[in-house]
Amino acid sequence: MHAFILAGGFATRLWPLTEKRAKPLLPLAGIPLIEYLVRDIPEDVPVTISTNATFKEAFEDWAEGFGRSNVEILIEDVKSDDQKLGALGATAQWITDAQIDDDVLLLTGDNYCGFSFDAFLKAATPDTTLIAVHDIGDLEKAKAFGTVIVENAQRVSAFEEKPKSPKTTLVNTGCSLLPKSTLPFLVEYAKEHPDNVGGIFEELLHKGKQIECFRFTEPWFDIGSFDAYIEATKELVGGAVITEEGARFERSKHNGSVVIGSQSQVIDSDLTDVVIFENCVIEDCVLSNCVLDKGCKLKGIDLTGKMLREGTILT
Amino acid sequence: MRYRLLLIGWLLTDLAVFIGSYAAAYFLRVGWILSTDFPFEPYITVVAITSPLWLIVLITTRTFALTRSQSSFRNLAYIIYSSLVGTALFALGYYFLFGLFFSRMLLLYALVISTIAIWIWHLLYSKFQRMRLRADPPVFPTVIVGVTRESRELIKKLNKGSNPLKPVAVLDGRGCKDTEIDGVPVRGKLNKLEDVLSEGVTHLIQCSDLEQSLNLLSACRQNKITYMLLPSVLGIVERDEKVESLEGQPVTMVGPKENPLMWFFK
Repeated sequence: MHAFILAGGFATRLWPLTEKRAKPLLPLAGIPLIEYLVRDIPEDVPVTISTNATFKEAFEDWAEGFGRSNVEILIEDVKSDDQKLGALGATAQWITDAQIDDDVLLLTGDNYCGFSFDAFLKAATPDTTLIAVHDIGDLEKAKAFGTVIVENAQRVSAFEEKPKSPKTTLVNTGCSLLPKSTLPFLVEYAKEHPDNVGGIFEELLHKGKQIECFRFTEPWFDIGSFDAYIEATKELVGGAVITEEGARFERSKHNGSVVIGSQSQVIDSDLTDVVIFENCVIEDCVLSNCVLDKGCKLKGIDLTGKMLREGTILT
Repeated sequence: MRYRLLLIGWLLTDLAVFIGSYAAAYFLRVGWILSTDFPFEPYITVVAITSPLWLIVLITTRTFALTRSQSSFRNLAYIIYSSLVGTALFALGYYFLFGLFFSRMLLLYALVISTIAIWIWHLLYSKFQRMRLRADPPVFPTVIVGVTRESRELIKKLNKGSNPLKPVAVLDGRGCKDTEIDGVPVRGKLNKLEDVLSEGVTHLIQCSDLEQSLNLLSACRQNKITYMLLPSVLGIVERDEKVESLEGQPVTMVGPKENPLMWFFK
């Protein structure tokens, strides 16, 4: 088996946090999002992370620091959204170029999955595609995902990518196991639909291939927006304050989840559900539902629901 | 550099127009002769001494500002006001130096001619200046953030009026299907901001994406770029908003519709 993680997006909805940082490298409760995925993949499974040239060095630095020998960073040679191969296109190119003849654990790098990949892989039936599905309990929210109709508890009978009128709240979570027999279909389908990762499952069903689902109830987040990022932080941090190395939290109050990055200082402030990256100085501020990128300096400011770009100075 | 040269040229030519206007007023009043009763030399000397003071008054009205439209009534009012001060300064200067007053009609001529001449000169020079400032590469390349009905109109107005702020790129937080607006390329979403700003942009006009105001302002500060904001982004669509000050704290003010004269008192 080989794990392939899609991490080539430019994450425009999370601007400015993703201005100089790939979304999978965003810290979630102090740990890069991609690390939650990679550390749960069995040690003997080689991991390929597909990203673009803009974030090449950042991923290489992260991989070096992470210290797992079988992690490879694959660079898609593009510098902007309009040049991208597309997620499925990148997967197909990797399969072709690296002559992959093995089952593929396909993951999207901007997802946080609370379940264990061990349990997921154990649930797989040989030569059958397996996708991890989660009930998000809201038909309106389901419109943004690939929905999955299931029969006989486990077998997928229909798959609809971003349906206008979803028939179910069960959605694909960006974690799937593709047996090697499906890879030629993927490569062929990607030629016409390089952006439609979810579409491959519709295609496989259309070709008569069986797909099964792995249902889980553990937390799952698609970190695609500011709200999702804050929600995921709340889930992981709870009501605590996480202070990283060298961080100071003095004469300040907190409510909900607070993460203070390394070497940051929070003094005489009131924080509610706030994530502060490294090297920030916050003094005499009231912040609620905010994410501050590194190097921000705030003094005597009240802010609600803001993401601040790196180096913002409001004093 | 191009802008500085043009501005220095404008200030110097304004002085010449001012002095020329007073010379014209002299000859119009005295006749096309050099009178011995009312000699030209001391007259024009006082005009020359007064002219820099008049220019300072004119500068303080911000008539040379990039955002000022020379054809507006407001600008004409400022020019009239400056010319009045110029005439008063000239009369006082002449009295201080020579201890006498002279023809009131000459002063009236000087006031009218200098006002009209300066205004016409400003209209012509600003047109020339705008043309030069927009010539490639533009001196004030401007990025527009947000594709809205109003931003489309703004881009058209800036281009049609040959405004010194030349739109060179459009960005939109949510993405936009257009590839260009009135000839200005739509470069993509805000993740392209750093690239666009690094291309020598001098001004940024925010037309939507209110939630990103702080970040756009921060990017502008870091890159020494002038930030502008359409009031409609804040939901102010009254068209008569003003930035005032309450005990030194800037506030955007939209007053109720009432007698325009009350503007002076409220």
